[in-house]
Amino acid sequence: MNGRSGRRTVVIMIEIEHLTKRYGKKTAVDDLTFNVKPGVVTGFLGPNGAGKSTTMRAIVGLDAPTSGLARVNGKHYSEFQSPLSEVGALLEAKSVHAGRSAHNHLLALARTHGIPKRRVQEVIDLVGLHEVAGKRVGGFSLGMGQRLGIAVALLGDPAVLILDEPVNGLDPDGVKWIRVLLKGLAAEGRTVFLSSHLMSELAQTAEHLVVIGQGRLLADTTVDDFVSGNGKSRVRVVSPDAARLAEHLAGPGISIASPEKGVLEVSGTEAAVVGQTAAAHGLVLHELRTDRGSLEDAFMQLTADAVEYRQTTEGATR
Amino acid sequence: MTAAAMTERPAAYAPPANYKLSATGLLRSEWTKLWTLRSTWIVLLCAVVFSAGLGALVSGTVPADLEIGGAENAVGFAMSGVALSSVFVAVLGILTITGEYSTGSIRSTMSAAPKRLGVLWSKAVVFGAVVAVLFTVMVFATFFISQALLDGTELGGVSLGDEGVTRALFGYVAMIVYLTLLAVAIGAILRNSAGSIGFYIGVIMILPQLATLLPWGWVEDVTPYAPGNVSNTITYVDPAGQALGVGESWLWMGIWLVVAYGLAGVLLKRRDV
Repeated sequence: MNGRSGRRTVVIMIEIEHLTKRYGKKTAVDDLTFNVKPGVVTGFLGPNGAGKSTTMRAIVGLDAPTSGLARVNGKHYSEFQSPLSEVGALLEAKSVHAGRSAHNHLLALARTHGIPKRRVQEVIDLVGLHEVAGKRVGGFSLGMGQRLGIAVALLGDPAVLILDEPVNGLDPDGVKWIRVLLKGLAAEGRTVFLSSHLMSELAQTAEHLVVIGQGRLLADTTVDDFVSGNGKSRVRVVSPDAARLAEHLAGPGISIASPEKGVLEVSGTEAAVVGQTAAAHGLVLHELRTDRGSLEDAFMQLTADAVEYRQTTEGATR
Repeated sequence: MTAAAMTERPAAYAPPANYKLSATGLLRSEWTKLWTLRSTWIVLLCAVVFSAGLGALVSGTVPADLEIGGAENAVGFAMSGVALSSVFVAVLGILTITGEYSTGSIRSTMSAAPKRLGVLWSKAVVFGAVVAVLFTVMVFATFFISQALLDGTELGGVSLGDEGVTRALFGYVAMIVYLTLLAVAIGAILRNSAGSIGFYIGVIMILPQLATLLPWGWVEDVTPYAPGNVSNTITYVDPAGQALGVGESWLWMGIWLVVAYGLAGVLLKRRDV
């Protein structure tokens, strides 16, 4: 079976190849290609409506691609003999009949694969739902619903986890818990692929990033490279000779702003260059610091053109 | 960097090998789903109460001097509640599928069984079997209750050994199972609770009755073949005078089920969940 027991030659677990999905005239995913590897948490980032959920639904076969492929471990999801052990998915939080208890929902899913009751209890304990497992899901809070969704995803002890906005509705403890959980699962060699529209969330959990906007791939890189590549890093200088320093620094590709007297914010160059320039002209510096752009800035910059439902002042006043 | 990265990367994870999706598993899963909803118990209880209660009520209030008799009428009196309870059961059958779409649990279900068709067959088999067992008990129990109440009237004294009686009673069971299975397929085709229930009651149950009021001759020729009518023949103690023979009745039930499940299966495969 795909060399599972032996040494793995292919370390790609999720393979998205020229995936396109149209709903009527609307294109949700547009010729998307990327891979997800095991052993690390991969973040799937994009503004709302970017096509993240559609891509994830295509991976587990709920939506058929208009064209292109979504494969897991070299196969289409429906070809697996044990789908729940290959891929555990949390899609929309409430994928549960409101009239059924959490325990019975898990039990019904477990039965399809001959998963023992013991495992059902295990995942209930793991996500911390033991006190409410017998209650009807209709009365669950969003956070409890998310925990149940995570229990469902973990039920088959799968090699690949696909989680769509898993932190939505979780309290701060829950958010911390899921970060630790996901990193631990990745460390076991599993593939963890989670989406979010919040950069800050992924920055703390993911190592690798796939960024999309309007259904198209914007970036497929590590979190570190993503920030340094897209973030606006600026050099902040405090100097009594700010005005003269600005004259010496000015040049093509360099922009200089002065938010207050004696302070410069220089972009397009590095702190070392600013320091050398000051020294060369005998100018005094009180402060010299590089402001690294945040992941948020990088994301905003990259998706600026790709935000579909951008709120405009025009739209707001209408 | 490479050396560190290589050692950091853990060995590939191998999922447990003893979990397997199977047909038996899907059947057990649907069985669990059916009985873990309160609505199942309520609706089936309603069906039992109406079918036995109405049969008993009608039989118990027959005046002693009523001048109709015979096995045909006796069975008809006893089974007077069955048509009504078939609506309860059909609605529940519809809900086993449309309830999954309205609550979103269909996504969990189809993620666990991505080939999808097995889910449809399992729902039909499990619910069909439950209804078959329940209504076999119900139909015969109601018949005995009814006969006990009819004792002393012209309609009394009918036994299972009388010609055609046992067959007619099983005919009622078969009719209910057939209508239930049809309802499940309608639910799978339309995916919407209100739409499916409306279609079942309006098009399957009422339309063929209304059609008989139309003045055109061909309508009269066609209505016996309507999905809601083809099972009528098998409920008669003496089916001789019916538009369809017993064999034709079974054949047409089969045809409609094949049509309904064929369409439901194709749509289930083609549509996004």
